Amino acid sequence: MDERELISKKDLLEATGISYGQLYRWKRKQLIPEDWFIRKSTFTGQETFFPKTLILQRIDRILNMKDDLSLDELAGKLSPLLYDVELRKDELIKRNIVSKVVLDRYAAKDAPDAIYPFEKTLFFFIVDKMLQGGGMSLEEGVKLLETLREHFAKCENGNGELLLIRKMGVSSFILTTGAGGIFFENGVKVVERLSLSDCVEELKMKIG
Amino acid sequence: MNKMEERERADLNINGLGSASGGDFRHVNIEGVGRVDGDLSCESFRLNGMGTVKGTIHTAGLFDMNGKLTGYGEIEASKVLMNGHASLHGRLRGEVVELIGIVKVHGDCEAERFIGDGGFTIGGLLNAGTVDIQLYGRTQIGEIGGDRISVRKSERKDWSRLLAWVVPIFQTQLRASAIEGDAVELEMTTAGIVRGNRVVIGPGCKIGRVEYRDELIVHPNAEIGEQARQ
Repeated sequence: MDERELISKKDLLEATGISYGQLYRWKRKQLIPEDWFIRKSTFTGQETFFPKTLILQRIDRILNMKDDLSLDELAGKLSPLLYDVELRKDELIKRNIVSKVVLDRYAAKDAPDAIYPFEKTLFFFIVDKMLQGGGMSLEEGVKLLETLREHFAKCENGNGELLLIRKMGVSSFILTTGAGGIFFENGVKVVERLSLSDCVEELKMKIG
Repeated sequence: MNKMEERERADLNINGLGSASGGDFRHVNIEGVGRVDGDLSCESFRLNGMGTVKGTIHTAGLFDMNGKLTGYGEIEASKVLMNGHASLHGRLRGEVVELIGIVKVHGDCEAERFIGDGGFTIGGLLNAGTVDIQLYGRTQIGEIGGDRISVRKSERKDWSRLLAWVVPIFQTQLRASAIEGDAVELEMTTAGIVRGNRVVIGPGCKIGRVEYRDELIVHPNAEIGEQARQ
């Protein structure tokens, strides 16, 4: 969060052409996560800033989707809170949401017509993403699934992150709530770093 | 929705003097003096008299309070009516929020329509589609943001006797650090910064800086530090 480039509210409104009313409405509808509103002291007093790339992407998406969806429907698609879509295992493969490799490896015992709640789909999706990234091995995926099952619920809101770190060949997964920084000892390599809410959103867009 | 959820829920009634531990109810009705020690979720909440709630209150329908309420959590309802004297430690959320009297909210307040009448304090951000405030007595709000924001001096005369007895009124003033909206009309307001498309600064206002897009109208009886067209 800290190392990302910020944009002030005023510049944001100028860049996007939206009005104060719209911004506040989207905040109320939780289309924009609470903790993207970052307060900082400036010489004119308190100012609100946003993580630049995140907010610009988000506003672009809201403006492009707005025509055919109500704000409330939109909120369901965008908010980092999980929603209740259930998908069948074979559907996940067919619609290319999660790769066959992942499901064969980690969900072999489930029948093809097994129904997964959104959260479970998300876990497979994240594991898939990490594997595609090339930084994680199949064995480590097992550990990642366990970690997600145990701790994801505590980190799902806001700026939670998933980190894969490695030192001298030994790997660890870390889930953060996104508040506060993390610092590592010497020799620790951050192999992968994912924003959980981005993953959720990406999956929702895929599910459609 | 979930079929398991549709089991019969009981009503919670407190008449006279009583207390309850929180839980899941259909209608909550407190007449007299009541205390709830935990979180409460219900379809409707009515308090007449004095109530203390130690947890959060989630109401699907109407949250209606007359008298005195001390709340330690957040309150969420489709419609919130508070009449009298209330102090809330968490946030307040509703489609419609109407505050009459002396209400203190320590957190944020969110509504599609916010009506405030009297003298109240909101510690955080008041974020509402339309904000209608009738001032009587000192009102303090951290920040206000929304589509249409209107702050006027109250027309109600019967307030003066009651309020003069409860709070020492120095002047009818709203204080806020920032007010941002598409259409902003203010009277008797002291604010650090006001931003909007169309801004009307009425009598009794002291504003540090105004930023506007389309139009700015300033009453001769208002003070503005600096103004800038964006």
